[in-house]
Amino acid sequence: MKYVDEFRDPELGRALAAEILTDVEPGRHYKLMEVCGGHTHSIYKYGIDDLLPENVELVHGPGCPVCVLPMGRVDDGIAIAHQPGVIFTCFGDMLRIPGSDGTLLDAKAEGADVRMVYSPLDALRIAKQNPDRNVVFFAIGFETTAPSTALTLMRAKAEGVPNFFCMCNHVTIVPPLRSLLDSPDLRLDGFIGPGHVSTVVGARPFEFIPAEYEKPIVVAGFEPLDVLQAVHMILRQLAEGRCEVENQYKRVVPYEGNLRALQVLGEVFELRPHFEWRGMGFISQSGLKLSEAYADFDAELRYSVPGVRVADPKACQCGEVLKGVIKPFECKVFGSACTPERPIGTCMVSSEGACAAYYNYGRFAREREVV
Amino acid sequence: MIDCDHITGCITCGDRAEPLTVLRVDEARGLALCANAEGLKETVEIELVAPVAPGDTLLVHAGTAIA
Repeated sequence: MKYVDEFRDPELGRALAAEILTDVEPGRHYKLMEVCGGHTHSIYKYGIDDLLPENVELVHGPGCPVCVLPMGRVDDGIAIAHQPGVIFTCFGDMLRIPGSDGTLLDAKAEGADVRMVYSPLDALRIAKQNPDRNVVFFAIGFETTAPSTALTLMRAKAEGVPNFFCMCNHVTIVPPLRSLLDSPDLRLDGFIGPGHVSTVVGARPFEFIPAEYEKPIVVAGFEPLDVLQAVHMILRQLAEGRCEVENQYKRVVPYEGNLRALQVLGEVFELRPHFEWRGMGFISQSGLKLSEAYADFDAELRYSVPGVRVADPKACQCGEVLKGVIKPFECKVFGSACTPERPIGTCMVSSEGACAAYYNYGRFAREREVV
Repeated sequence: MIDCDHITGCITCGDRAEPLTVLRVDEARGLALCANAEGLKETVEIELVAPVAPGDTLLVHAGTAIA
């Protein structure tokens, strides 16, 4: 398949892995963070970390929007789903995220009308087909997904659909990265930047990482060769004493982003003063809400929600996994009390969650094969 | 269309997107009918990448073409 097969060529992969070997300084330990959950998934699906030298460690970042959602927001969503007459729509992975008292799937079993959709447009279609019911779309995702929600809201406004509402949980990628870089318990050498977020925002917003924190970042695609090449580019920067923003994913990511998408985001959303992230606490200006112009579509204004901050389960160490402080297998409940079938923490639910990626691809052990 | 389960992947999550080929464009509504390599069809919002033509490859995330 065009744009896919050529980035999965095993020969090229082995050649890149050999080149990476020449990039590393013996005795130095390299810790690189893949920010995005899509990369985490690719790394374990294709066994990319097994191709890397032993002293190159990949740690997982906070780039799975499902994983970073705090329990209180799930509870708020469930409260809306239980309102009379509501059809509650969300992406499939949200259904299994535990709130403090069950999941949306449990709410559905108790009689709430909860439906899975593949896109916000599907939710709008349901609203148009059910004019006597209020349809709430649980919007979640980084800047990759936010334009999709924004365009749907613009469409709803233009078509005058009065029974479509949005509970907005969209988040932005730069504030949590800054928070991680300011965190004293994490030493990172470089970042693999999020490819599809950058399709929207461009590579420019990441310039603060080399400028203020003197770390390299390479925006990368999601095929195995993309990730390997990004690691190679970061290590090459480190070897040459450079730190800059590089774009490995030029076939998709323009340096300035998608200007129309940014314009749409600016029209439909505004920044919340602060938003809670699982395991990372409140981060300033990291979440989006609907702007004044779209207040009529705001489910949080239409319905009262508990809005209670709920602590994560004690046994769950998702917060440390999300910050790259521990590996999934180092969590006390990984693979025992917490599995994809019965998840305790969010990282075990979504396929992009680091724990689920480890679990599904059989990464239970600490040992790695030395290349 | 990307499956939505904990093994094959999910739409939201994070940063997943899929290359789809444009089959037909509905310019009045700003939508395109697209298909993936297996022939599964999906209606896609094309506002961010317009103009598009049948045969173009789009990167689609949550029903919206982003590149």
